[in-house]
Amino acid sequence: MIEAENASFTYQSAPSPALQDVTLTVQPGECVVLCGRSGCGKTTFTHLLNGLSPEFYPGTLTGRCTAAGLAAGEAAIEAYVPQVGSVFQNPKTQYFNVDTTAELAFPCENAGMEPQAIRRRVDEVVEQFRLGPLMDRSVFKLSGGEKQRVAFAAACMLGPRLLVLDEPTSNLDAAAIAQLHDMIAVMKRQGVTVVLAEHRLAWITDLADRYFFFAAGRLAAQWSAAEFAALPADTLAGYGLRARTLDDCRAGIRAKQSARCPGTPVLTLEGVTLGCDKKHPLRTLPDMSFAAGEIVGLMGRNGIGKSTMARTLCGLLEPVSGKICRNGRPANASERLRSSFLVMQDVNYQLFSDSVREEVLLGAAHPERCDAVLQALGLDGLADRHPMSLSGGQKQRVVVAAAMLSDKPLILLDEPTSGLDLGSMQQVGQLLQEWKAQGKTLLVITHDEELAANWCDRVIRWDDTEGV
Amino acid sequence: MTFRMDPRAKLYLLLLANLMLLFHVGTGAEAAATALCLLLFFLSGKARAGVRLSVLYFGLLAVDLFVVPRVGESVLLNLLSLVSVGVRMMLPCIITGAYAFSTTTVGELTAALRRMHLPESIIIPCAVVVRFFPTVGEDYRHIRAAMALRGIAAGRGALLRHPVQSLEYILMPLLMNSNNVAQDLSAAALTKGIGLPGRHTCMTELRLTAWDFLYPALCTLPLLWKVVTLL
Repeated sequence: MIEAENASFTYQSAPSPALQDVTLTVQPGECVVLCGRSGCGKTTFTHLLNGLSPEFYPGTLTGRCTAAGLAAGEAAIEAYVPQVGSVFQNPKTQYFNVDTTAELAFPCENAGMEPQAIRRRVDEVVEQFRLGPLMDRSVFKLSGGEKQRVAFAAACMLGPRLLVLDEPTSNLDAAAIAQLHDMIAVMKRQGVTVVLAEHRLAWITDLADRYFFFAAGRLAAQWSAAEFAALPADTLAGYGLRARTLDDCRAGIRAKQSARCPGTPVLTLEGVTLGCDKKHPLRTLPDMSFAAGEIVGLMGRNGIGKSTMARTLCGLLEPVSGKICRNGRPANASERLRSSFLVMQDVNYQLFSDSVREEVLLGAAHPERCDAVLQALGLDGLADRHPMSLSGGQKQRVVVAAAMLSDKPLILLDEPTSGLDLGSMQQVGQLLQEWKAQGKTLLVITHDEELAANWCDRVIRWDDTEGV
Repeated sequence: MTFRMDPRAKLYLLLLANLMLLFHVGTGAEAAATALCLLLFFLSGKARAGVRLSVLYFGLLAVDLFVVPRVGESVLLNLLSLVSVGVRMMLPCIITGAYAFSTTTVGELTAALRRMHLPESIIIPCAVVVRFFPTVGEDYRHIRAAMALRGIAAGRGALLRHPVQSLEYILMPLLMNSNNVAQDLSAAALTKGIGLPGRHTCMTELRLTAWDFLYPALCTLPLLWKVVTLL
């Protein structure tokens, strides 16, 4: 199904190749996982498989890479359409239609199918993946997990022989991942070849037939499922790969759920009900308190109200009812805004300036610490770069640097490790520890069970049975 | 069952509103045509937007008819007539635009434009623009939140006191973000065959009904009347 022979690819205006001398073969019906650190070339390889490179993401290809009989660089993107289905990382930006049903119909409409045939095919796919409740909805009203399921279904509309998935789970909770897993299982049973580039490995172990490990653009190793399962855990960690099983993490999280606030509370919530307006309360919270110098993980499915809680705590939103106190005194929204910082999931919204230095100094309480903080975060060589020219991880660290210089006592982080490899995830964890040592209160919203189990002091987990 | 108008009829209404502005049809004719367009909101189950726009339009009309003639002082008069006449005359365009925008899906629009045999190079950008606007609103809220956290242009009226600075801080992430979103969207759309040659179809079959001719014709009468009386 896939044959790569000494395939190398260099993006236009990039100094070094993103992919070097990759030779591999994938048989029809196999499910293979591409793994490796961020920037190792696995996404680039997926672009060679679905035709996006070199046509849409331009660059120079040497060697040969064919997928479903189509050679990268020779076949047009359009030739790939009925053969190869693609699902991308960000659920927000892969919808061309605002309506879910229209999104499913979209590939069929483009292929010129008759309206009646399109409706039949939509019904068929909806039935197959049990998407009934998600149809005829606005995509803006769907959770990340629901969006990814519809995106997966849309990729299957034209009956592809090959599915290429690029980190589809990076924004998803455990339940949504399990649902995506089952959809992939359905396609695999039908003999569709699946290529999955992914950091999180635990959820796919029962479906994966082979693993390709990329490092610095080269195919550094390949394992069969049995070989991969037999690798010692520290070898895996040495490769920068995430855990194969989350059972230990889950036990750790359960233990941390019973932990209590360790010291004098600096932030307390009394009878707080969250919501954007009084008519639609989202969730009533049990009373809780947070101490200085602790890292609290907040977990729960997509759309349960975690982000609303973060927005409420940092003063972007007033609670519908109840009291939020700082150091024993009620604090209104503007007071909370002055004493907290939120590192958003999409840090692109938080970058305003022309250079990294200006960016971190914006609103800084201690500008004199600028150089020290930049150095501590490994940003010292980038001080004069434009923030938007940096990689995703670097951008996040710029915002973290700004948060550190603002010296606010409460720091909230929304999904700080989504789409990060093991090394970067641990970096975030260490950062949290440093912050904790400075006596900050840290609240981390996360689906990342490895982060919660290994780096948080205690975990608050919401499910649908409690609260409103 | 709510009333559904064909996108082509909506586009015609938009054109009509612009023609009325261009030809200065006169207050009575303008009010009659606008009332008909406002009625569409109520027929399509968009009563809230309909009420809001109606209050705005007829409020301004009332100011023009009843308040302006009684104000002697010139500065206030200029200001009042600027708002009640200038803004009001542009409202029909905004009303028909809002109606077309809020009741048409991307699929319907592209299908309608294809029926009109427009080239793909016009249809695809139109579809992208319609797809884009809701995301811009969402982005704007995120950016304002991020600004508040940094203490930039926080509080009421800050946008008015430092308009240039605020605009820069809003536009910078908005444009950068839009650029990323546009690239991701294009990649996703390409893999779903937006560039496929040959005829593209539409799942929702568009059919012009009698209403799609009658209602726009009704809305055209005031303008027609004006033109006839001019001749």
